[in-house]
Parts: sequence; structure tokens; C-alpha cells
Amino acid sequence: MRQAGTSPDGDAPGPAPRPAGRLRPKRDGLIGYLFMSPWIAGFLLLTAGPMAASLYFAFTEYNLFDSPKWIGLDNFTEMLDDPRWRTSVEVTAKYVVIGTPIKLLLALGVAMLLAQSRRGQGFYRAAFYAPSLVGASVSVAIVWRALFSDDAVVDRTQSLFGMDVGGWIGDPTWVLYSLVALTVWQFGAPMVIFLAGLKQVPRELYEAAEVDGAGPWRRFWNITLPMISPVMFFNVLLETIHSFQIFGSAYVVSNSTCGPADATLVYTCYLYQQGFENSRMGFASAMAWMLLIAVGLVTAVLFWSQRRWVHYEEAAR
Amino acid sequence: MSRHMERRSFLKATGVTLAGAGLTAAGCGGGSGSSGGTVTIRYAWWGADDRAKKINETIALFEKKHPKIKVKTDFQQYADFWKKFNTQAAGGNPPDVFQNAIGFLRKYDAKRVLLDLSPQADKGNLDLRNFRAGLEKFGEVDGKLLGIPVGSNSMGYVIDEKVYEKAGVSPEPGWTWDDWRNGLVAIHDKGGTSGDSGAYGVMYLYDLILRQQGKAFFTEKDLGFTESELAAYWDEALKGVKSGLYADQKKVEQVKPKSALAAGLAGGEFTWDNFTARYSAEGKSSYAIAPIPTLDGKRTGQYLGSLMLSGSARTKHPAEVATFINFMVHDPEAGRIMGYDRGVLSTTEQYEAFQPTDPVSKKIAAYEQQIADAGVLEPITPHPAGADIVEAAFLRIAGDMALGKASAADSAKQFFTEAKTALGA
Repeated sequence: MRQAGTSPDGDAPGPAPRPAGRLRPKRDGLIGYLFMSPWIAGFLLLTAGPMAASLYFAFTEYNLFDSPKWIGLDNFTEMLDDPRWRTSVEVTAKYVVIGTPIKLLLALGVAMLLAQSRRGQGFYRAAFYAPSLVGASVSVAIVWRALFSDDAVVDRTQSLFGMDVGGWIGDPTWVLYSLVALTVWQFGAPMVIFLAGLKQVPRELYEAAEVDGAGPWRRFWNITLPMISPVMFFNVLLETIHSFQIFGSAYVVSNSTCGPADATLVYTCYLYQQGFENSRMGFASAMAWMLLIAVGLVTAVLFWSQRRWVHYEEAAR
Repeated sequence: MSRHMERRSFLKATGVTLAGAGLTAAGCGGGSGSSGGTVTIRYAWWGADDRAKKINETIALFEKKHPKIKVKTDFQQYADFWKKFNTQAAGGNPPDVFQNAIGFLRKYDAKRVLLDLSPQADKGNLDLRNFRAGLEKFGEVDGKLLGIPVGSNSMGYVIDEKVYEKAGVSPEPGWTWDDWRNGLVAIHDKGGTSGDSGAYGVMYLYDLILRQQGKAFFTEKDLGFTESELAAYWDEALKGVKSGLYADQKKVEQVKPKSALAAGLAGGEFTWDNFTARYSAEGKSSYAIAPIPTLDGKRTGQYLGSLMLSGSARTKHPAEVATFINFMVHDPEAGRIMGYDRGVLSTTEQYEAFQPTDPVSKKIAAYEQQIADAGVLEPITPHPAGADIVEAAFLRIAGDMALGKASAADSAKQFFTEAKTALGA
């Protein structure tokens, strides 16, 4: 490693390591690009190229077999008139608006419990983080389906308390909440980030506040929250973007129907149906770009809002 | 992977024969004719594990009898199969030979994906004799032979014998829809369970009902019924759901992919007769196939349906594909292995070779014999391009309606909107 880091210049006579100074020959840039080239090639071929193609398809009627036919904005106007498209927007919005805050609140709450030193904290951190590692897999979604089915664990537990909802999977009003529960259950990743943020809050602040007679709630509100607000912002941003892209769990839990009664027809699921079931790649591409724009807008709003509630520590400590 | 395999067997083959000129052109597998090289073809189908086991056995047998042809396989569930196939076909890389159904014939013919098998039949690679009841015509579209039936099946009403016996209802050939409905009421009153799983979203059942009135689900290019006809049909279905004559859709939804009948949620289900085998394996009760109810006590609207094997128009090995299909539909041993998994075997060689011993296969055979003897079978009506999307929309919209999302009239309207788009595309 040291060799690679300190003698990047092939023309240098001998391997005499140069001191890591500020003056680097321009050729270093070239070598940098050389090392990056696999990534750049991958980006151009697998990301940028397909994106450009999909932007073009968004304005065409394209069924994969016949060559694309230019139809201008027709895909976009059709979308706005399509009741199923509107359903997919509603379902996704509901999922994001309900799921993300609950997930983040839980992540913060558990992070605060785990931030304190206590016996077995390593175990608890690992245990709460584990669902995030396995959560995205199809197998967990299958387990979820089994848990929330008729007469399964959740149904029976509810019945014990006199709530006869029946299984959630077959019920259009309930099934989306099983997906929300699945994402909330995977709060481990934001929790770890919150933990790191909480560890950064200087202890002196709490001590000083305590001396001034501030109770736990006040300390949380006036010290913890402002101090971790950058971390909070990061988590909100990441989880929101992530939530918009829900697909796998909705697809698997609904047995690949995005139902029942379109109750789990999240945006990407409808996009997938249009693209791969109905062979309408043009429409699906248009949908994908609408999603990109929507996520971009939400991200912009979040960035704009951070001036009001995110506090960056200006003074160097 | 496949290229790798082919390369290997190709190298092996060239090692034995002369490393002659002209072989350089065969970079993607040995030449399909006289060079003596091994050819690999890809075979894809949909179905459950049980079918996969049987198919693998038939392939082992085929490879033993045709050592120069290797078969690579791939299978999924029905819905996933067509998504994958569609993508592969669009990319110019569909499997060489694959399972097919009537609803997809025109669609993929229009996209020039399907191999016309008639030249292969002329060359003698595919034998069109000995098909039962004119089945060899089944895969014909505009004079092209696009699929060869592996079995034949017909719609039937699969019932839970115990439920029907308990309610004292015994379906007879020629029973009417009124008799059927009275039966559901009797089952509901005596047993408290639903008599039917609610197949008002199954295109093939509505097709039968329309055919009993001298119409059909599809015309050459359009739908063969009106929006108000469908609204009336679904309105009645919705009443059935609300009164409990049909199974609770929420529960039906959750037991999937298991059928409502096998899960004990209903006393009967309209479906293809060969599904009786699957339901008997899934469910705890004993199942029988009852005749399709009629309007006039006579006309059932039934026809023989079938799964087919089709070839890809882009295959490099049409002769081998034809040889493979020929083996799968004619070889008696292959027929004995497959049994009635994909319907009653389509050629006389296989039909005679397989003598059903298990009670379920016997019931299927007896049922098909009964409808053939009764002379109720009619010719099949068209399935235009887009039929597959229409079928899926019909099922989905009926399901939404049964879950209380929309009225029958709104659902019918929604279906017509989507169907027009699919058939126009």
C-alpha cells in the first residue's frame, strides 16, 4: 500500500519514496483516471447509456419488438389521465409519509437507549441492526407474507385482544401497513447513524445544562436534537429517497399482483407491470423519469427546509 | 453459460471428427446437420415442481435416444415465465423450444417470434399423424403451424365431493345455471360454507357462458360482448359475494398460490379439468369433475384447449427443435412419464401408452370421454394479439370489485378501457 501511495511516478529513478508533499506532477491525474476507468466505463455503459436511452423511450411508444415510435408527450398526458397511475402515486405517498417518520423515530429512540454504556450493548446493537442486513431479501418478504396471512401469527395475536381484522395480506385497507411494518422493522441502518451522531455530542453540554437545572426532556430538546440535526437531516433524506423506491417487498408480499385491489400498487410496481407485463417500455420509461423528477423535487424541498432546522457547528472545536 | 457448454461439447466433437474447414463458421455450437457435432437447445416451460420432475425425466430419455442433442432447461411460474420470455424474445435470445398457450399465439406471431413448423413436418422431422380429435390443427394461425399440442383439456367444474354430498347436491350433465345456483344456496344453508370460489374473473369461464349464447369472448380483433352485458354478469357475481355464496375474496387472496377449493374455502371451482390432479395433491378432501352448467340443458360452449410446444423463429437448430417436439408428443415412454400433467395426452401413441391407475387421472380421462361422447365440444374461437393482457386485466378488475373497490358498472367500464388499449396496441 505504501509503495502504491508514495511512488506513483513511473519515471522516477528508483523506488526512492518522495515525502508526501503538496507538489504532485500532473501525470498523477492521468493515473488516477486510469485507476478509475473500470468505474467510468461501467458508469457510461451501465448507467449513463441506459439513462439516455430511457429518456428517449419516454417520448416514444416502444413494445420491445417494433422500433420505437415518437409520440412526444403522449405518455405523460396518458399517465395523468390513468386512474391506476394515480392510485400508484397515492399508495407510494402513503407508504413514504407513514413509514419513514415511524422508522426514523424508532431508530432514534433505540439509538438513544443503546448510546448509554451498559452490559451487553454490543449484542443489542447487533440484534437491532441485523434486520437491516437481511431485510431487503426476498426471503424476508416471504416470511412477512406468512406472518400477516389469515390465521397466522399476527391475526391470532390480534384476535387475543378482540381485534378481528383477519389476515392483513388479503385486506386492501390493511395490507399496506404490513409493508410499512416491514420497513419500520429495518430501522437498524439509520439507528447506527444516529448512534454515531449521539456519540459526537460533547458531554460538557449536558453537564452544564444539568448544573443549570435542565431536566431530561429539556436536555433532549435543546441539546441532543440540535446537535444531531445534521445526522437527522442525512437520515431523513436517505430514508425518504429509499422509501420512494420500494418494490421488492410490495411485489413479493402481494404474490406479484401488487394487490389486492391495487392496495400495494406502489409506483415501481406499476412501472414494472407496464414495462414487463404489458410490454410498454415507452410508458414505463416515462414513469421512471416522473419518479426521478418527483424524488428530485422532494430532495430539493428537504434541502431548502434544512436552513430552518439543521444546525451545523460553525466554530471549530 | 450456454455458450460455454456448447463450446465444450463442440470441441469434444471436433476432436473426434476431422478439424475440417467450414467448421469455423459454427462458433456458436456445432452445425446442425452432418458435421456430427452436438447441438444444445434450450427448453423453457412454466409449472410447479412436480411438472419439472417429470419433464427432466423425459429429457433424460430424449438425450439417451438422441445423443447428439443436448437440452438445457428453464422454468418459472406462469406469470413470471412470460415476463422473462418477453424480455428474452425482445433481446433476440428466446429459448429454442418452449411451452405455449393459445392466448399468446397471435401476439408472438405478430412479433415474428414463433417458428413455422410446417416445413419441418414436410421434411419428416415432425410427424403430424395420430393426433386425437384434430388437435394437430390447434396451433395453426393463418396457414402457419406455430405450436404442437402436448395435451388436451377442457373447462370443468371441479368440486369438493364431501361438501356436495353433505348438501345433497349432485351435478348431472345438462344441469342449468339455475340448478347450479340452487346448489350453492343449499350448500351455504346446510354447511355454512361457500359453494363456489368465485371465478367471475376467469376469462375462459365467461367465454363459455357467452358461447352458450352463441357469442364468444373475442371476435377476430375485438371483444365479443358489450359493457352492459359484462356489468350485468359482474353485478350478479357481486351479489353472490355479498351473500356468501362465493368464497370470501380476502381469504382467497391469502391462500394463493394455493387454490380456494384446495384450501377448503369453497365447494367448487371452474377451471381446466387437468387441474384436478394439482388440487388433489394440494387439498385434503376428495375432488371430482362436474359438468359445466348450461342455459338450455344442452349447450356447454366447451372446446378442447391445450398447452403446446413452440419453436423460436431465431433458433439455429430448427431440425433439432422439431425432432425434440416430435419426441415429446409421440414417444410412448415420454407420455407414460408425463401422464395427464398437461392435459390428456394428444397423440394416440401416448394416449394408449398411459393407462391411468390413480383415481384422479381416471376421473380426468372419464370426464374427457364423457364430453367427447356427449358431442358438446365445439371449435375454439379466436384469441387476438393482446388476449393475454386482456385476460390479466379481466382477472384483476373482477378481483378488485369483489373486494369492494368498485361497483360492477364501474369495473366493467374500467375493463373496457383497458381491453381497448391492449387490443389496439
